[in-house]
Amino acid sequence: MNFEEYEELDGVRFAWNCIPSSKVESSRTIVPVSVLYTPLREKPDLPVLQYEPVSCRAPCRAVLNPFCQLDVRAQVWICPFCMSRNALPQNYRDISQNSLPHELQPTSSTIEYVLSRPVQAPPAFLFVVDLCQDEENLQALKDSLIVALSLMPPNALVGLVTFGAMVQVYELGFTSCNKSYVFRGTSDYTVKQVQEMLGIGPAKAFQGANGAAGQMLNPSLSRFLMPVQECEFQLTSIIEGLQRDAWPVRNEARATRCTGVATSVAVSLLDQLLPNTGARVMLFAAGPPTEGPGLVVGTELREPIRSHHDIDRDNAKHHSKAVKFYEALAKRSASNGHAIDIFAGCYDQVGLHEMQSMPNSTGGVVVLTDAFTTSIFKQSLQRVFNTDDQGNLLMGFNATFDILTTKELKVSGVIGHCVSKGKKTAAVSDTEVGIGGTSSWQVCSITPAHTFGAFFDVANTQNVPPLRPGQAGPSAHIQFLTHYQHSSGTYRLRVTTVVRSLANGGDLMLTASFDQEAAAVLMARIAVFKGQTDDGPDILRWTDRMLIRLCQKFADYRKDDPSSFRLAQNFSLYPQFMFHLRRSQFLQVFNNSPDETAFYRHCLNREDLTNSLIMIQPTLMSFQLDAEPEPVLLDSVSIKKDAILLLDTFFHILIFHGETIAQWRRAGYQDQEEYANFKELLEEPRREAAQLLVDRFPLPRFIDTEVGASQARFLLSKLNPSSTHQTEGAYGQASEAVVLTDDVSLQTFMSHLQKLAVAGGN
Amino acid sequence: AMPPSPAIGSMGAHAGGAYPGANTVPANVRGNNMTAGMQLPLNELYTVDLMKSLPPPISELDLDPPPLVLPQNLGISGNKDEANASPEYMRCTLNAVPNTKGLLNKSKLPFALVIRPSAALLDVNENIPVVEDAVVTRCRRCRTYINPFVDLYEDGTRWRCNIYRYARNELNYGIVDFVAPPEYLGRAPQPPIYVFVIDVSVNAVANGLLATAARVIKDALDRIPNSDDRTRVSFIAVDGSLNFFHVPLPSQNEGEDEEEVEPNLIVVSDLDDPFLPRPDGLLVNLKESRAGIDRLLDQLGSIYANTVQSSCAIGSALQVAHKLLANVGGKIIVISASMPTVGIAKLDVRDDRKLLGTAKETSLFQPGHSFYKSFAVDCNRSQVSVDMFLFGAQYQDVASLSSLPKYTGGQTFLYAGWMSNRMSDVQKFANEFTNHLSMEIETEAVLRVRSTTGIRSVGYYGNAFIRSSDLMSYPTFPRDQSYVIEMSIDDPITKPYVLFQAALLHTTCYGERRIRVLNLAVPTASTLTAVYASADQLAITAYLTQKAVEKALSRGVVDAGEMLNAKMLEIFKVFKSDVLNTNAGTSGALQIGANMRMLPLLLSALRKHTGLKKSAHIMPDLRMAALSLLSTLPVKYLIKYLYPDFFALHDLGEEYGLVDENGLLIVPPKLNLTGERIESHGLYFLSDGQVIFLWIGRDAVPQLLLDAFGVDSLDSVDSGRVEVPELDTDLNIRIRNIIAAARSPIDKVYWPTVHIIKENTDPSLRMWATSMLVEDRTDVDPAYFQQLNAYREKLST
Ligand SMILES: [Zn+2]
Ligand SMILES: [Zn+2]
Repeated sequence: MNFEEYEELDGVRFAWNCIPSSKVESSRTIVPVSVLYTPLREKPDLPVLQYEPVSCRAPCRAVLNPFCQLDVRAQVWICPFCMSRNALPQNYRDISQNSLPHELQPTSSTIEYVLSRPVQAPPAFLFVVDLCQDEENLQALKDSLIVALSLMPPNALVGLVTFGAMVQVYELGFTSCNKSYVFRGTSDYTVKQVQEMLGIGPAKAFQGANGAAGQMLNPSLSRFLMPVQECEFQLTSIIEGLQRDAWPVRNEARATRCTGVATSVAVSLLDQLLPNTGARVMLFAAGPPTEGPGLVVGTELREPIRSHHDIDRDNAKHHSKAVKFYEALAKRSASNGHAIDIFAGCYDQVGLHEMQSMPNSTGGVVVLTDAFTTSIFKQSLQRVFNTDDQGNLLMGFNATFDILTTKELKVSGVIGHCVSKGKKTAAVSDTEVGIGGTSSWQVCSITPAHTFGAFFDVANTQNVPPLRPGQAGPSAHIQFLTHYQHSSGTYRLRVTTVVRSLANGGDLMLTASFDQEAAAVLMARIAVFKGQTDDGPDILRWTDRMLIRLCQKFADYRKDDPSSFRLAQNFSLYPQFMFHLRRSQFLQVFNNSPDETAFYRHCLNREDLTNSLIMIQPTLMSFQLDAEPEPVLLDSVSIKKDAILLLDTFFHILIFHGETIAQWRRAGYQDQEEYANFKELLEEPRREAAQLLVDRFPLPRFIDTEVGASQARFLLSKLNPSSTHQTEGAYGQASEAVVLTDDVSLQTFMSHLQKLAVAGGN
Repeated sequence: AMPPSPAIGSMGAHAGGAYPGANTVPANVRGNNMTAGMQLPLNELYTVDLMKSLPPPISELDLDPPPLVLPQNLGISGNKDEANASPEYMRCTLNAVPNTKGLLNKSKLPFALVIRPSAALLDVNENIPVVEDAVVTRCRRCRTYINPFVDLYEDGTRWRCNIYRYARNELNYGIVDFVAPPEYLGRAPQPPIYVFVIDVSVNAVANGLLATAARVIKDALDRIPNSDDRTRVSFIAVDGSLNFFHVPLPSQNEGEDEEEVEPNLIVVSDLDDPFLPRPDGLLVNLKESRAGIDRLLDQLGSIYANTVQSSCAIGSALQVAHKLLANVGGKIIVISASMPTVGIAKLDVRDDRKLLGTAKETSLFQPGHSFYKSFAVDCNRSQVSVDMFLFGAQYQDVASLSSLPKYTGGQTFLYAGWMSNRMSDVQKFANEFTNHLSMEIETEAVLRVRSTTGIRSVGYYGNAFIRSSDLMSYPTFPRDQSYVIEMSIDDPITKPYVLFQAALLHTTCYGERRIRVLNLAVPTASTLTAVYASADQLAITAYLTQKAVEKALSRGVVDAGEMLNAKMLEIFKVFKSDVLNTNAGTSGALQIGANMRMLPLLLSALRKHTGLKKSAHIMPDLRMAALSLLSTLPVKYLIKYLYPDFFALHDLGEEYGLVDENGLLIVPPKLNLTGERIESHGLYFLSDGQVIFLWIGRDAVPQLLLDAFGVDSLDSVDSGRVEVPELDTDLNIRIRNIIAAARSPIDKVYWPTVHIIKENTDPSLRMWATSMLVEDRTDVDPAYFQQLNAYREKLST
């Protein structure tokens, strides 16, 4: 099977598809044993079973899978993870190798169970709406919110919190008139205070009263969160009636905006009303928090919002306090299984950098736009509510993600949108990568896009003994258990069980099992994870060092002879990925605002391999008359006068018209019948771009530009500077555009790499 | 249909007589060459023996004070009759002022002014001349406003020369309003602003208060002073949280439907540090936002109809109401059936019955939390006053709550045991609330009393904030209360007259800054006899009532009673030894001037009053409400409150109970308050101004019952707190005329409820009514004649 097929089958892309046989071997492979796993990856042929899974005894809890040894006669199955012998349940009595239940069939390495435990409440959506914005922006937001109501399942619960200088929580269940509770924008309210102030009784009192613990809902729930079908009219009229925040804004001052308190109150509200039930806080921010806990910038306009430089030089006075505040909030929300989304509609920053832990810890989405009037916002919000062909929302709630391994492996950690559940089992490694120290993670919101990077430690200490041909070698098992609330109102368990062979270091099998794409994305996740704590230059040095060492280990070369340097095909693109990674916005942050950096990194940690690779190394297509569209090098040489380029960076989709094309277009040839082919040429990249937009979330920014236009910088900044000032020939000779950059070109980078790799290699 | 309402304070109509001898006082003195030390022929003293004037001639309670004997040409305009303010506005305890401190001390009589700057709830019922065209002219030395007496107490020739002498109001009238020029304006005149703090806890829902209050407020909105459409209102509903109502402005677009003015309910639950949830839309213009306000009041009852909240954060609500008013000033009107149990200044139940009637009872008269004093200071600073309408079924701690009205120029109304299913309870509240709200309040008022050199004010009594030794301030000035100002004499007075001038600087509710000036010229006297002959027994009672209330609050009711007794005895002693100069005394006699004949009766009644009597059965809330009334009622209502009106209805003379050609009730002759006057077949009217009893004797004949109540047997008479049925009989019409007159709101807001008592079946009501028979003995106090005997015995030892 090739790597894509593994991905098709199980949603996994391993950096190494064989597992280095020992700890020592593993340390030499540089890229760790790791996998990109997309638990809810859409799989048309996914078996969905309407019965409870058969699990191994506690504490193992591994689920019966095709790789289990079965003793049909004894009615026993042997758990590959703990080697326990478990009796098969009564209803498995009639199975045989020829009539296996679904979960034991070889194609069922990934399978889903619909569990019988009922879901306490339908999914809940709590809007948290910033009222400090101009009429036009607010109106657009209101319109979008009302559209969103129409996209929710009719039984979905919905609530409303608004904020400006203060926070208002609407009691939708109150029918006499519009009623809301107001919270001061400056106070750090505890959950208990919020509960008391809203008159919400403790949830505990309602549990276990009749022995059916957890079955009863807090009676205050219906005061603040109501099914859309019951409150749509009222809520629509409240939303339509929302006005700009009434508190005055001075000249020379920002609006007083207590985003932190608003989000905290929203989280506390859900905490009391829907503990451990699927819910999301959807924050719509029109500017930065300027008031109370979580403030990012003061109200005085003469105080600019912090830049990367300010943060870097410890010059951002509110930064670390705000980060701490939002991290605590994120943790609180995550522990209740509630996601936090951030939708920003503001030309300026909204403090996403400080707030990023909230979506990042809870699986919430981030949509960063200039205004709520943009179609990026409008359509992205609608896409949150995309449904499958049965009409169920393409999102799961309140998920738990568990990784089980056989003894050869230990789990070092996960990088992705989750938090640790602190489950420290024997399968947990002492060395941490990402969020470690546990084999279980909370994922409050999970979609088919959510992809986790899982990292492992090899626990084996011995090499694999030589095998006779045809003999099955030793292997390691990994089981991913994703337990989540499906939007149809059931709990589900997605089980993916994979087996990978162990291989010795020198083994060609190991080298051949290298998935350079997966490795690049996984290494990028590590680099970005490090970026949260380490200095930028340190991370660049780390990526360079890892690359050099990988090449030293796996390239073919003669010592001190760069020209002899060769990489196998499945390694050949890897240096190029690393070249683009180190030039990317993920690691070169200073060209972007801290908010943008947070947004880009958020996306990288969420998306699957394909999308992540596009982010690291954007794709470039060239369209020319009388030629098929073709992918071209992400290099300045690809800019041609008579070509249209289509750049996809995941975040931007850019159509760039070469000089001649731009002239023709301005001359209006496309409108003349005899130039239909030119018209066709103009339209072709647009069709292609539209194709790219279909599944993308959030909606990328679309740019239509041409040579010499200011927007062209988006393209130029992504291109390999193969022709720079240094390489430019005599005046007027250069037929290709000049990339204005001080960066080294890929060619220079590669030659350096070769030099360093062959020198003093071990 | 109702008979035409007899109008205008006619219950206390003058009997037309005067003191014995008052008629014979030489009217005046000719010539204006009065020189220092010269004495006017003042009122003569007529000594009476109280032991021989039994029963006390109570019609004298309606008499005017002893005349002020002034020269005929007093005053520059020569318009003597109106140069002095009428006693209704200002009166002095001594209508002949001792000319030395020594003489005053020797007299043992109090020296004080009783002032009521307004004598009607509405301007239209009060005909005060206004000076609009002049700069306010004041004496450079003492800042006294120019007045009819300038030439007498100052060397005022310069004024005399400069001023139109006879045409100007300020020179002609004892009471005049000056329109104040801009320098008297601290800031632009504020509109009348009312913040209603309404209890919406179960306490206020269970007895039907909330629904009633909402309706009453709504109905009263048209009566709020708002002639120039500037009046603003706000509503804060309070239970365990603070419920604000944001009333959006109606849409400017024509044709938009009513949905546009849907009020929004905004809850603030932060009780310890409460805040305003919006910068606007909470305090709204009454006229502009009327539709939304009406809608809100229509919904208010139903919004909380099913509440289970029992706590009530009145203190926190007051705090936010104050925030709402801090920059503009205004009135906070609290309507509550709860004690403040949560939030700021929450109180504990402390009305331990074991304390009642003991020395420790006094502790219950003090506020239970320092907030109730400190907040009053905050309110005064920002021109906010507080009124309390209290409806608690249980202890509500009136002592704490009433201290806010007390120090902010407000008023406390207690409706003990109020129930909305009792029609007359609803009517009482509705009438009093509406009267109170319709009162043309004045804002940012300060009252200062000035007087002739040598005399100064030393003590102020009444609901006000005492800003300095001679300055009382009122964030809003109520027109139905009275104030007592104690005076002292520092230097001998050489002139034959002293002048008192009270000036109330205020802003009218239609935004005009004005100064109301009340003038009173009083002759001086150099002998005790002259001083005693002109003492005003009602003013003295008003003063001693304030002193007794003060004593009761600080030392307890027993001390207050003893103080009153001691004071009376002291006066008798002075009268006997220094006025009559008969040390031995006529045995068997108890002598006093005729003009002071009612004082012992009034003080005896005061001691027996609910506010002051020694008892282990008077709940502290009732006690506090009574003390509040005692210290605020204008003289004529105070006297009624102490010595209620009592007359027989079963044998009304031909014209009594009818209305004369001026629309005034012809009041039946009053009976002495003693059970001896009650005949078992009779029907009686008894009222202290707060409540009206109709007492039906146990042997009342069917015809009387038929005429009065339309039923022919006692059993069929609806008794208790019920209105008199409307019948077409002559008696019934007269009874209703009498009741209607007692409820006439021209200068008071109180609307007494009628209690029909059947002597033989309503023991608790009977006890209540008989407690007003103050000439009779009670379990702790002697009958009036016994009291007189006691004084007499003490004097002879
Ligand atoms: Zn197991
Ligand atoms: Zn003077």
